[in-house]
Amino acid sequence: MSTVETGGHGAVYDRGYRPYDGARGRRGAATFALYKASMRRALGIRRSWRQKVAPFTLLGVVTIPAIVNVGIGYVTRDQLEDRIEIITYRDYVGVSSALLLFVALVAPDVMCPDRRQRVLPLMFARPLLGTDYVAAKVGAIGSILFAFSFIPQVVLFVGNMLVSDSALDYFSGHLDVLWKVPVSVVLLALYYAVVGVAIASLTDRRIVAGAAVIGLFLITSIASGIIVGENFEIEGGSLAALINVLILPLYLRDLVFLGHVDPDSPLTGVDNGGLFAVATYVGVLVVCIGVLLRRYRWVER
Amino acid sequence: MDDGPLLRIDGLTKRYPGVTALDDLTVTVPRGRIGLVGANGAGKTTTFRLLLGLAHPTEGRVEVCGIDVAHDPIGVRSRLGYMPEHDCLPLDQTAADVVSTFGELSGLPARAARQRASDILDLVGLDEARFRPISGFSTGMRQRTKLAQALVGDPELILLDEPTAGLDPLGREEMLALVARLGTFGISVLMATHLLDDVQQVCDYVVMIDAGKLVVSGATDSLLERTGIVTVDVGPRGGELVEGLTKVGLASIAEDGLVEVTIEGDDHMDIVRDVVADLGLPLYRLSTRLTSLDEVFLRRAGSAS
Repeated sequence: MSTVETGGHGAVYDRGYRPYDGARGRRGAATFALYKASMRRALGIRRSWRQKVAPFTLLGVVTIPAIVNVGIGYVTRDQLEDRIEIITYRDYVGVSSALLLFVALVAPDVMCPDRRQRVLPLMFARPLLGTDYVAAKVGAIGSILFAFSFIPQVVLFVGNMLVSDSALDYFSGHLDVLWKVPVSVVLLALYYAVVGVAIASLTDRRIVAGAAVIGLFLITSIASGIIVGENFEIEGGSLAALINVLILPLYLRDLVFLGHVDPDSPLTGVDNGGLFAVATYVGVLVVCIGVLLRRYRWVER
Repeated sequence: MDDGPLLRIDGLTKRYPGVTALDDLTVTVPRGRIGLVGANGAGKTTTFRLLLGLAHPTEGRVEVCGIDVAHDPIGVRSRLGYMPEHDCLPLDQTAADVVSTFGELSGLPARAARQRASDILDLVGLDEARFRPISGFSTGMRQRTKLAQALVGDPELILLDEPTAGLDPLGREEMLALVARLGTFGISVLMATHLLDDVQQVCDYVVMIDAGKLVVSGATDSLLERTGIVTVDVGPRGGELVEGLTKVGLASIAEDGLVEVTIEGDDHMDIVRDVVADLGLPLYRLSTRLTSLDEVFLRRAGSAS
């Protein structure tokens, strides 16, 4: 550092350039750095207040049912023999419009600008591979979806425990929830993160990607509904129910919670329906991850 | 730091369908400020991609800072900084966030990356603008931000692709001054450009390529040849000098306040000096005019083809 004296009234410091001789990570560190940066972007951290509206509105919306459920339990705790539950843990691991909208907004926001603003060459000039990039992006979106689906469950569980007659009895009576909920939420979050990120990777325009995410879910949902029909509870369901990529992870949720396909689902009555649901779930993930790895196979062959 | 050559390129060839971007390029480059010179499409960007390990050579091998790119591309990228020619910055983020994030992506811990981002933005003259979104930056400020993100990881070598592209004359001078300073920090620079003036001003070694082939490489000074013209600055009395030189048989012209004298050998230099002394003229400058890199490139590329 050089110093220029200024007549005894002070000094101007030219700090120059200081080499870095501390610890330095490689691929793992770069991947984690990209994961953190993507999380910050998705949550609107270090961005304007407008970018924070979507994630935290979602968190509020998905937590409301838990708060209402606990509130009703508290108000009616001395009046009723049987507890009123407006929502069960299984139902709460579900697809809300807010969650869908969040995926359609955030996945394109995390993916598209990197390609549109041509940031990718800067990233891949670092110790980072295409697989690392995909892992960081899917991990970031998946972590947020997990957190936003899991936190309300925690609120519900702790709230129910506290308003019950015996917190210990409630806890010991619901031990299965402690593994079923996290497993189901992981399956749900991973699925929507991979599908949302894969679709967003196909274009550099956020609005197109968002519309494609919503369009895919809606169109497959409508197509499946038409093919399966309305009377599936009486006439039995159909494998065509698996066309509906929107609710596909809910069949796995039912397998986790119930051990079989829900009798009220459009897959009811189908032989090995649960097995087909698992295979379709895995197939969708494999296709989407394949698309992502191909899109970010940065090094030429 | 290793004292071996900066780059060792051996028989490097890169073919795309229908076009050969690099053709049997062999060159060894010392550490320092290097100019990679060539016309558009000469293979400069392909060379950068191969150095970064972002493309595989069809034939040949590349060593950067002693590391074989084919064997350890991640290790090479850990030692490099890269500033592309095109726009590549996230516009809705602040310069501090961008540079800090790229510091972390280079493997620095978060705290160190933030500290270095602050230092580097100060170094490139963006200390007061670092918390403003990049979308509001001028072209010059964006170029500086691009340079900062390349520097934040403390690279051994920094690859600059047309760093003065799109800059006004003042911005260009400031950018070149920054690039020149990098050498004093112990960072080697490989600057790809087609602006030979930039290279002549900043670089101490030049690699010239044309149509994927090596034209010539060497120290900048060694490539600049004498032209046989001496430039003499005697202030406003240049006319008197022209008359005096004509009397002793030397051809000269006065141009832009300077006198250019055609000479043959060092004896003529002595005659010029003596004429100036005899006429009692003030001698501000007496220098041999060298060829420009443009002339070297045009002549060598022409003879190669």
